[in-house]
Amino acid sequence: MDRREAVKSVAFLIGGALSATTIATLFDSCNEPGKNSENLFTSDQEKLISEIADIIIPTTAKSPGAKAANVGPFISMMIKECYPEDAQKAFVKGLENIETRSKKDFGKSFLEISVKEREQLITKVRDETVAAQKVESDANEKAMKLEMDIERNKPEKERANPTAVKDPQKTTPQFFAIARDLTMLGYFTSEVGATQAYEYVQIPGRYDGCVDLKPGQRVWA
Amino acid sequence: MNLNTKATAQNTYDAIVVGSGISGGWAAKELTEKGLKVLLLERGRNIEHIKDYTTAMKKPWEFEHRGRLTEAQKASHPVQKRDYPYQEFNESFWVNDLDCPYTEIKRFDWYRGFHVGGKSLMWGRQSYRLSDLNFEENAKDGHGVDWPIRYKDIAPWYDYVEKFAGISGSNENYPHFPDGHFLPPMEMNCVEKSVKERIEKKYNRGRIMTMGRTANLTVEHGGRGSCQYRNLCSRGCPFGAYFSTQSSTLPAAVATGNLTLRPFSLVNEIIYDKETQKAKGVRIIDSETNEHIEYFAKIVFVNGSTLGSTFLLLNSTSPEHPNGLGNGSGELGHNLMDHHFRCGASGQAEGFDDKYTYGKRANGVYIPRYRNVGNDKRDYVRGFGYQGGASRSGWHNDIAELAFGGDFKDLISTPGIWSMGLGGFGESLPYHENRVYIDKSKKDKWGQPVLAIDCEFKDNEAKMRIDMMNDAAEMLEDAGIKNVKTYDNGSMPGMAIHEMGTARMGLDPKTSVLNKWNQMHEVKNVFVTDGSCMPSTACQNPSLTYMALTARACDFAVTELKKGNI
Repeated sequence: MDRREAVKSVAFLIGGALSATTIATLFDSCNEPGKNSENLFTSDQEKLISEIADIIIPTTAKSPGAKAANVGPFISMMIKECYPEDAQKAFVKGLENIETRSKKDFGKSFLEISVKEREQLITKVRDETVAAQKVESDANEKAMKLEMDIERNKPEKERANPTAVKDPQKTTPQFFAIARDLTMLGYFTSEVGATQAYEYVQIPGRYDGCVDLKPGQRVWA
Repeated sequence: MNLNTKATAQNTYDAIVVGSGISGGWAAKELTEKGLKVLLLERGRNIEHIKDYTTAMKKPWEFEHRGRLTEAQKASHPVQKRDYPYQEFNESFWVNDLDCPYTEIKRFDWYRGFHVGGKSLMWGRQSYRLSDLNFEENAKDGHGVDWPIRYKDIAPWYDYVEKFAGISGSNENYPHFPDGHFLPPMEMNCVEKSVKERIEKKYNRGRIMTMGRTANLTVEHGGRGSCQYRNLCSRGCPFGAYFSTQSSTLPAAVATGNLTLRPFSLVNEIIYDKETQKAKGVRIIDSETNEHIEYFAKIVFVNGSTLGSTFLLLNSTSPEHPNGLGNGSGELGHNLMDHHFRCGASGQAEGFDDKYTYGKRANGVYIPRYRNVGNDKRDYVRGFGYQGGASRSGWHNDIAELAFGGDFKDLISTPGIWSMGLGGFGESLPYHENRVYIDKSKKDKWGQPVLAIDCEFKDNEAKMRIDMMNDAAEMLEDAGIKNVKTYDNGSMPGMAIHEMGTARMGLDPKTSVLNKWNQMHEVKNVFVTDGSCMPSTACQNPSLTYMALTARACDFAVTELKKGNI
């Protein structure tokens, strides 16, 4: 059995589900720390963040959306307080890009176009992000394989300790990936998201390892 | 002169315990219950049970950053932030790394909590006995020195501490996996039950899967409430439902009326008296005022955490003990070990779409060691156990990459795939060259020199990890789990927070620091009963063993004291 294809499975036991982008952004110690600048975003950009979040997690028949959970201000705050400088810059640039493209494609600010148009635009940005991440991860994988080949050809004494934690590969912070991560985090941990999309029980009091799934059962927050 | 005598009398106790974590709390309880006046010294602040668990009842949306760290926290906690334990949820339980630097000759992740209760507040609570397989292995394969005890020496003390602490779990009657005095086990979920059945059938119980044995109460016990299944233990439990100093040993010690607890007391040196050839007390730095104060006692228990204790011993030099207290062997600071982990497999369980769980269980399943047991011989020595579990998340298989929108939200709000994973915890060997020593080129916030740590895993661990990964995948596949993927995320010493060794027990004073009673060979009234005493790591989570060794050492120390031998 050849199982060299080790997968990045961060902390299965803690139940965390962070994307690769988030991991690279949050744990890469080489990044310059972010500066908590009050003026990182213009007031229009703050509005833009709220609207984009509401496209990522909109209101449906089943539960309210990101706007109702006040996710926009949460994202702005998180970018200012919890992200390194390169991610902050990429995020601002991403907002500018959305606005430029909205004007080019629809002749109006993102704040003024219809939900359908917003979805179209965000879908494009998403597809480009997926493509960019694919290019980067392919390149990283290639580099890693090359590194492993070089490593294998070294005399044993010079080889890196095979048990060591490898430094995370540098990935470019992507606006949409960050926006989506923070929208999901902010929404599902908000009171609205946790109690109306998910189901929140503060003190379960017991554990039942095998219950029948009820119709309409929601995920436990 | 009179004043000094009076001050000395005021500062004199029967026993001093250095450190208030898992083992220090036990030492305080045992010694006070045996009638000794005990001074319990803790370098950090006090944390009062329940009252000071400030985040324990917070709802997810009451955390400003929803658990994540700010750039400012990452800057002040460059070590603590390296792995998952340091989060917004209990950030005040972890040290500011800038206050207490250390030198990494090689990377070593040192997780610390300076407060009453120490890591007993944040520990993982998994509680397993060591067996004679473990106690005999050093002697058999020649790594490290022989354990000076065998299972029969410690078994009654495992009984004793389990009964008090409250450990839930199943008796299994499985070789080298001693049963104990357990509260009812937590329940496996339906996927885990199925995996258990299939693995045990496939290997004819040559491998077993049992419910994690954990220091969480499944029923009320000793006046403490039972687990409420919130899975928020690391914030401190308002129900007292897991074992910690605060919930368990400290109240018992306080109840005797014999305990004095002094927080903000960083013990900087054990004072050696060359007339009696014993320790006469300790010198502390008040960590708030920087005042230096001396306390005196007939016996000293050192429970400052593995590396904290060894730092204290190395820092306690005198003309008679120029290389650290009780370090005639030269072994003090050597043979540092930790478990290696972050290696295993996971996959998806099919056929349970109509089942879900209720409540959040802060526990998983356990597969005890089966490698290098009996006729099994591998290309490495020792072995590993697995921790793991199954859970059902909101993730569904058909979700596109970076999906968004209303349908996506509605879909991930419903229970999706079941996943099941197994992660190995492997034994590491006691290598003499894996060591710590005092580095005088730096100072901590309190003016002390710092520890230099030079430790790495080696070939034996690397070989074991291949089995840890492949065996996990094989068993999951045997159990019908689909889409099984292996992982090896690498493991740096320190990450498991099971650091052990550096003041090992042994039969021979020439090659060990402590005798079979955790008593220093060379300084008979000093006992060291935390992780530093371990001659090997085994692969089981170690804290229960520290508890048992501590209670056993306290019993011996008081008997010896009464006999006038120390």
